[in-house]
Amino acid sequence: MTLSEAAMLRMQDISKIYRTDLIETHALRELSLEVRAGEFVAVSGPSGSGKTTFLNIAGLLETFDTGTYELDGRDVSRLSDDARSRIRNEKIGFIFQGFNLIPDLDIFDNVDVPLRYRRMKAPERRKRIESSLELVGLAARMKHLPSQLSGGQQQRVAIARAIAGDPALILADEPTGNLDSLMARQIMDLLEKINAMGTTVVLVTHDPELARRAERNIHIVDGVVLDPASQSHLPQPAPQVSGAAD
Amino acid sequence: MSLNIRPLLSALKRNPTGALLVALQVAITLAVLVNAAWIVHQRIEKIEQPAGINTRDTFVLVVSGSSNKFDIAAAESEDLSYLRGLAGVAAATVTNGIPLTGNGGDTGLYLHPGERGRLVEAADMSFDQQGLKTLGVSLLAGRNFRPDEIEPYTPGKQAPAAEVIVTQALARTLFPQGSALGKTVYGGTPKTIIGIVSNFMGPQLGTPPYDTVIYPTLPGQYGGYYLLVRTQPGKRDAVLHEAKHHIGAAHRYGVVQYTQTLASAKRQMHSANRNVAILLVIVTALMVAVCCLGIFGLTTFNVGSRTRQIGTHRALGARQRDVVTHFLVEGALVLAGGALLGSILALLIGNWLTAHYALPRLNLAYLLAGILALTGVGELAAWQPARRAALIPPSVATRTV
Ligand SMILES: Nc1ncnc2c1ncn2[C@@H]1O[C@H](COP(=O)(O)OP(=O)(O)OP(=O)(O)O)[C@@H](O)[C@H]1O
Ligand SMILES: [Mg+2]
Repeated sequence: MTLSEAAMLRMQDISKIYRTDLIETHALRELSLEVRAGEFVAVSGPSGSGKTTFLNIAGLLETFDTGTYELDGRDVSRLSDDARSRIRNEKIGFIFQGFNLIPDLDIFDNVDVPLRYRRMKAPERRKRIESSLELVGLAARMKHLPSQLSGGQQQRVAIARAIAGDPALILADEPTGNLDSLMARQIMDLLEKINAMGTTVVLVTHDPELARRAERNIHIVDGVVLDPASQSHLPQPAPQVSGAAD
Repeated sequence: MSLNIRPLLSALKRNPTGALLVALQVAITLAVLVNAAWIVHQRIEKIEQPAGINTRDTFVLVVSGSSNKFDIAAAESEDLSYLRGLAGVAAATVTNGIPLTGNGGDTGLYLHPGERGRLVEAADMSFDQQGLKTLGVSLLAGRNFRPDEIEPYTPGKQAPAAEVIVTQALARTLFPQGSALGKTVYGGTPKTIIGIVSNFMGPQLGTPPYDTVIYPTLPGQYGGYYLLVRTQPGKRDAVLHEAKHHIGAAHRYGVVQYTQTLASAKRQMHSANRNVAILLVIVTALMVAVCCLGIFGLTTFNVGSRTRQIGTHRALGARQRDVVTHFLVEGALVLAGGALLGSILALLIGNWLTAHYALPRLNLAYLLAGILALTGVGELAAWQPARRAALIPPSVATRTV
């Protein structure tokens, strides 16, 4: 089995430049990396190093300037906006630092959002919503509003929403950033459980304790993957980088 | 397709204030729009309707007593014999009102004795056997008044008028089936319809424009009378000038209050109708514009305050057109709520106008067209902010905290 056959995500020389009137920010500089299907990868690096930029590009939330990107074996470098929306909807589950639940919708309707965009029939949606809320332990709270839940519970709803559509890839940007360490561990347990069921997980985190629990750590510094050796399968000790958040 | 109406509705229910206010605005605008359009339609119809009388060669001299010693009956017959002998005059009569101007009287007629049964309201005019000829109205059935049927004015006594002439339109209103000729109607005393004449616009007092009943009585109970004069073609101004001078000097206790040609009366009526129509169109257009601003403002506010939510929807798979649809459907829900309330309001206002201003009952096609038009422009107003919402990049989901 070659790597490329099993790659969930493969980026080759991706550059991303943010241009404003005054300055150009090189957020990613010919970044290359690969994540295999079924892997659990933690991404860390100093603030401003390009982690969110990488994750946004991986999740087709942003475009890039040069390089190629293959997602689950398909070149997604140049797709229409509609096609990108569709891939986000079907293949990717997002978990955000700020939870990003829709405040006016109850828990059930929040988890329903991606399923509706998928044009699923109501009974199928209900089944998936119930089972994913079950998995995160919030099936009893379906009629609650997000504001009636704790931060940890809200993030679990967001996880239920991310997995309801049965995505191949979960992308999480600092999902525990707004939570205390106990809650953070709960979230990490859930992500591990989801990964164990076969879903690829890419987690951006500042927390070394959480990062250590991942199968593999990737360090992004100044827009590039720090050590190409990190592409190997073995977990690596986090290298000491001045200015790194840990 | 699963339009996300249920989650949209539950979101609206949680934050109803802005939407309710705009829906109320839509309701009021719709009610005004529909009824204004209906009134404008009536006014335009009136402008397009023929007057049915000779307005070109006809004028009115208004004579009124300057003291209660004025002998109206004597003055009327004196003026009539002067006018009928005057060169250039084709016909002359004395009446209680001026066609087209709103000066005149109206009458309620019943179909059964004792003032029972259906009441038909109509304008009334009273004049003698030369009245029809003076107006240029033609007899369609029956006969004209005979000179011996004309009741001269007697102070303090309301002439009973046993015979009347009606317009064709009034004949049909009174007796939708069969001929009105020879039938009796009741209003004070029984009156037999002896003649039916071509439609003409009476004094226009809010009754249907062509519904006029004519009495063979000469007026005077308000201390004066209108002399209606028709001249030979081209002689109107000369005759008017001469008659005004003569009659102005003829009566010791009476004066010529003013004169008016029917051509100018017609112009004034048309311009009054036109002005009402223009005013209503302007006011309604302004209300519709303000209503659109309301929808625009509400949508703009919703888009602005939900930037991160929109980004999240995009991250979860919403296409740009799903975002546009989201806000258009939200706008449509507000418009639909407003239209529902507005329809009730429009019908209530329409009924009230019908009851108080003799406006024909609101045509439901106008209501339907009003709903479609207002919903259409309302959605257009929501479209621009909805489009801007669709351009919010999905990355705001991760970039904004
Ligand atoms: N929309 C943007 N416009 C301009 N510059 C941007 C934009 N987004 C990010 N940047 C810049 O790109 C660089 C990388 O940002 P990015 O958000 O990817 O960093 P990060 O590693 O996620 O940082 P953090 O740990 O603080 O979240 C930074 O210098 C940032 O200022
Ligand atoms: Mg970041």
